[in-house]
Amino acid sequence: MMALRIAFRLIAGNLAIWGCIACIDSGAAQVPSGKSPATPRQGLTDGGDSLRIIAHDEITPVGFPAGRRPLVLRNPYEGNKSAIGTGARLFISYNCIDCHGADGSGAMGPSFQDGRWHFGGSPGAVFESIYQGRPEGMPAWGGRITDDQIWMLTAYVRSLASADISTENFSGQTVERTGH
Amino acid sequence: MRDAWWGVMILATLAAACDRRDEQSPPASGAVSMRTVAGTRIAAAHAGPAGEWQMPAGDYSNSRYSELATITPANAAGLHVSWAFSTGVLRGHEGQPLVIGNTMYVITPYPNVAYALDLAQPGQPLKWKFRPENDQQAVGRACCDVVNRGAAYSDGKIFYNLLDGHTVAVDAATGKQLWRTRMGDLARGETITMAPIVVKGKVLVGSSGGEMGVRGWIAALDAATGRQVWRAYNIGPDKDVKVGPRFKPFYAHDRGKDLGATTWPGDTWKTGGGAVWGWLSYDPELNLVYHGTSNPGPWNASQRAGDNKWTAAILARDADTGEMVWALQTSPHDLWDYDAVNENILVDLPIKGKTRKALVHFDRNGFAYTVDRATGQVLLAEPFVPMNWATGIDMATGRPKAIPAKMPATGKKVTDICPSLEGGKNQQPAAFSPETGLFYVPTNNLCMDFETREVAYIAGTPFIGALAPEKGGPGGYRGEFIAWDATTGRKVWGIEEPYPVWGGALATAGGVVFYGTLDGWFKAADARSGKLLWQFKVGSGVVGNPVTYTGPDGKQYVAVYAGIGGDMGLLIAGDVAANLPYDVRQRGTTLPDLSRWTSWGGYLFVFSL
Repeated sequence: MMALRIAFRLIAGNLAIWGCIACIDSGAAQVPSGKSPATPRQGLTDGGDSLRIIAHDEITPVGFPAGRRPLVLRNPYEGNKSAIGTGARLFISYNCIDCHGADGSGAMGPSFQDGRWHFGGSPGAVFESIYQGRPEGMPAWGGRITDDQIWMLTAYVRSLASADISTENFSGQTVERTGH
Repeated sequence: MRDAWWGVMILATLAAACDRRDEQSPPASGAVSMRTVAGTRIAAAHAGPAGEWQMPAGDYSNSRYSELATITPANAAGLHVSWAFSTGVLRGHEGQPLVIGNTMYVITPYPNVAYALDLAQPGQPLKWKFRPENDQQAVGRACCDVVNRGAAYSDGKIFYNLLDGHTVAVDAATGKQLWRTRMGDLARGETITMAPIVVKGKVLVGSSGGEMGVRGWIAALDAATGRQVWRAYNIGPDKDVKVGPRFKPFYAHDRGKDLGATTWPGDTWKTGGGAVWGWLSYDPELNLVYHGTSNPGPWNASQRAGDNKWTAAILARDADTGEMVWALQTSPHDLWDYDAVNENILVDLPIKGKTRKALVHFDRNGFAYTVDRATGQVLLAEPFVPMNWATGIDMATGRPKAIPAKMPATGKKVTDICPSLEGGKNQQPAAFSPETGLFYVPTNNLCMDFETREVAYIAGTPFIGALAPEKGGPGGYRGEFIAWDATTGRKVWGIEEPYPVWGGALATAGGVVFYGTLDGWFKAADARSGKLLWQFKVGSGVVGNPVTYTGPDGKQYVAVYAGIGGDMGLLIAGDVAANLPYDVRQRGTTLPDLSRWTSWGGYLFVFSL
């Protein structure tokens, strides 16, 4: 619930987003009005007994009317070393490590070290991925762990992106014998 | 002494066979040859005509042997690609196609598309394509890539498993789905990757998920309706695991009430693994089905004191009822993720002067077992790869004699355990040739460190609690394709490979054996000498199993998938193993050089002379 409260604070000043904020407390999703641009694909999520709106810079529709920019959700723990340390411990406690690999190096699940994100890498997008799960097997942790913990996990996994390994240059390296 | 005598006899027989072959004129098209080493017999005949490949392993015995003999050591250098087919799917292409009549059936990794290719037409057009409904969540619940090890065929139907835990039956003529049965609970991490077999009108299937805290099982479905006939769990009380009056294990420590539950602390057996994701065998004369069970969960063994029966075990069950008849736990209280799911090859063998009904099993734990398949008695067990965690198998109990220094415990990091958790061999199935009396075994030569930690069971997430970084084994090679004499427990020859040999073997009556490599080579070797005869670079690493068949034109063809993946490709190969094309990973430390040789693929290659 903490996350939702944070989300409320962050978006409280802009109730005009697709006319939908009003429904947060009502527990019923409202259909965006027909004159608005299409709802961003990941902008509207059903959080169960309430509704959250998280918008992502990377998928903001072009030509959105002025004054109606979607909000970018910020992680209160972004860059917070202590919270990142807690996130690292949670990453082990909740068995994230055995899917995503030690230090997020990738295993059954995607790597967090490459700085590439299947479902968006903004704090809000990562929060969403953990909160509601993703279709290729990521479980939904929302309601199972606290929203605060999800934010700390978000801070941790976002801190893991390291080396740029876009290019691998093999020239000059020893060639293992293959074939016979 | 008797062993030595038999060795001489076999060598003499082989030499004679070689001489005869040399005098032969080139064999006719689709030639069939059968000269066998005295006292050897594959327990069950090749399914269907010699020129077809109707079962995952060719026969119920898991021999992967074909009587086709046109391709020989003398002409194998003339092999070339006849045609190829893109499966449209990347990721690990384990398993093998089936050939029934003039149709080839191909099953892809997730999303588990089935293709029927018309071999009688130029260009092999599709007869049909079947795209099953298959829950996408399964992709992230499968431990070791989204592989599928192939289909079974019976009575005009193709049967196979979907990663999301369903078994389907498809009309072999039309591709129409006939039935679909939910067998596994994806929410608890149950997926299915194994190839079923059909025994007397029942489709036998088992679960994956040994890394997810599942409770492993094997089940029989009515081939006509998809209705479950029986299901046997591998852990839990006797009633659930189908232990009753017929259960007569060879060793005393395996006898007792409810051992599948009482060899675990409390109710930890409920999340104890013991999945059935490997190959199934069947002996029609004994009416027994043989299967292995996976590692116990979690890997951190301090959370599950006891033998953890019946995980990491070879089990024999009545094919009609699922009743357990005998059990042999190869790694009791497994500490190293040594699943016992590798194939059990059913062959009569001359052992110490007597023909024995044998079951030959190359275990993850590094020992090759020759077992009496009627009783479960270990006749012989010798290391077939570099192995340092045990001093041997105690023949009085069938149990390994583990070395304490190699046993992980809480707070202790154990280093340099060989083989690694990938095992001396993994899912890559071996083959047997009755002409040479030898088993052809694709092996790994890897070692590992092992460090455990407490882990909580959370449904749908991994239940592991250990880190086990791997490294190359001793000798400067990381895999070897070997020929093994299971009557003596000795390696006859080996071809060292720079990478683990993660694809299966095929043995043929022409005296040629085939296998593929992770670095993307497909190879033919002389079954008697191990001399490399031919190789072709198929591009993506081979983790599939070659098959051979006679085409409509009467020629002998050899088919194999190319498409790196599986546990080896997924977990440690580096960026060839990325989850998605835009997921770029650091190259793995175990095989850091592999990504230079291969990348994702999804191909069927077909070769001929």
